[in-house]
Amino acid sequence: MAERKVLVADDEIHIIHVVTIKLRNNGYEVISAENGAEAFALACEEKPDIIVTDYQMPGMTGLELVRKLRQNETTKDIPVIMLTARGFAVEDKEKEELEISELLSKPFSPKELLRSIEDILYQKAVMRNK
Amino acid sequence: MKSVRNLYVIVTSVVAGSLFAEGLARWYYSGTGEGLRFAGYVFVWPVCYFVAAVGVILLGWYWLRLVRGVTSVAQQLREKQSSCIKPSSNKIVNELSEAINKHFGGNGSYIEELEKQIKDSQLKIQLLRRQKRNTDAIIYSIRDAVIVIDEFDKLLMANEAAGKLFNFDYKSSQHKPINELVSSEETKAGENEFVNFLCQSRQNKVRHTRREIDFSNENRSKTFDCIVSCVYGEEERVCGVVAVLHDITREKEISQMKNDFVNHVSHELKTPLASISAYSEMLVDGEADDEQTRKEFYSVIQSQAKRLNRLIEDILNTSRIESGLIKVEKRPVSLTILMEEQLQMIRSYAEEKNIKLIGQKPIVFDQVYADKDMISEVIINLLSNAVKYTPCGGSIKIEMEVDEIAGLARVSVTDTGVGIPKDEIEHVFDKFYRVGANKKQAEGTGLGLNLVKQIVEKVHNGRVFVTSEPGAGSTFGFELPLATAEAVKT
Repeated sequence: MAERKVLVADDEIHIIHVVTIKLRNNGYEVISAENGAEAFALACEEKPDIIVTDYQMPGMTGLELVRKLRQNETTKDIPVIMLTARGFAVEDKEKEELEISELLSKPFSPKELLRSIEDILYQKAVMRNK
Repeated sequence: MKSVRNLYVIVTSVVAGSLFAEGLARWYYSGTGEGLRFAGYVFVWPVCYFVAAVGVILLGWYWLRLVRGVTSVAQQLREKQSSCIKPSSNKIVNELSEAINKHFGGNGSYIEELEKQIKDSQLKIQLLRRQKRNTDAIIYSIRDAVIVIDEFDKLLMANEAAGKLFNFDYKSSQHKPINELVSSEETKAGENEFVNFLCQSRQNKVRHTRREIDFSNENRSKTFDCIVSCVYGEEERVCGVVAVLHDITREKEISQMKNDFVNHVSHELKTPLASISAYSEMLVDGEADDEQTRKEFYSVIQSQAKRLNRLIEDILNTSRIESGLIKVEKRPVSLTILMEEQLQMIRSYAEEKNIKLIGQKPIVFDQVYADKDMISEVIINLLSNAVKYTPCGGSIKIEMEVDEIAGLARVSVTDTGVGIPKDEIEHVFDKFYRVGANKKQAEGTGLGLNLVKQIVEKVHNGRVFVTSEPGAGSTFGFELPLATAEAVKT
């Protein structure tokens, strides 16, 4: 089975670092970006299986990134997990509209993040095989 | 008595005259001669005429007096002296006067009572008018907008603030429909919402109700707290509605700022906490395979814990300065000495990055009237920022000058760092603001420069400044009043 690719976007290098180690230890290929614009460019280029993005980033925010991803033909179906340190930053309506698969509050558990990624990718695979 | 006497004289004269005339007549017809007949003609008839004439004159005089008495009474009545018609010598006139006096005497008290009531009513009206004027003056002087409508939704009264808010002439708009005055097709949602709220409150007979309504005009949007109360008349019937509109725009802004601050603080606190939590979990779960990785994880946890502590300290310091709770001990201190002390502290950090610190010769008369610890905090913040954002091998230049004419001492720290983009430079002293590009270079709380600004400007009445050239470096500095200038002021 091919290595599944995860794009991690966060302006905190420690978060990128810890998520990268956790996912690599569990057989994922990780690419990372420190802001929204970089993440979008990387997503278009690398077509990751899933994107983990922070809500608050300099320049383009996490929500703006997802909105842009949904408008782009090559990236519109990529599932997104959003990390946020702000409570109630994303409304349910926005979450549904932008098809954000999961919202995780900071501080988050890397284990929980890994579980969410696996669940989402599994459901995606099931849907594809139907 | 007088009239009886008069009557007596008349009657006696007539009777005596008649008897005398009869006696003469009898004597004449009893056989006397022509002389007696002549005497009869000469004496009897003139006496009879005389007596009759005297009687007529006396009767006429009597009636004349009666007429005069009645005329006088009529005159007095005409002159509205009804309550005090003078008594007359004529009995009949006197009786008439007394009767009239008695009659008008009774009505007089009634009239007096009525006149008193009229005066009382006039006084009450004056009092009520004065009270209304006072009430109007109170309502007109209220800063909040006040609008009163009647049961037909027509304006009863409005004050100046209401006229200003809804743009109508509050003095001449009475009895006009409120919807015509306040809202129209051109007006915005806020005005229409207010009119509907007012009319609905009256229809639903709600005693007190309130709602926040936004009124927006070309310049800005304002939020008002609208309190509407129904005015009840007889039989609990709503006869009007009073609306008081209080401008809460500033309160809302402050509340929003507080919410933003709490959100920001929680975000800033959660960020290092997220790292600490994630790295700890990784260590517990044995995800760090080798000693090197474990050390790396411990190091991250330690640095993030320090960051968290620094952040809390900075938040507390900023909050203490903003609320005025911090103890300030101002005395004359030398900026040169303070700068030297802080340079010693930063020197090892600069050497680690091979950054050259370029100072200047000590200057004299550089004493400022300041809190030593606070200004030391300002200097160390500027120096550590300069070292943090200057690449290895760069340089930092410290300049100090005294402007005796302006009474100021100026300190500036110029680095050869990455610089700040032009669109971000105005925000560098804002709370929690961090220059996007600089985030990668070094950790920070986004509170250090805000603390510098608070200490210099709020506590010491000085000024902070910044200039920057992206890619070439930045100059941060501050000005403080000289101790001599402060002494002159005090």
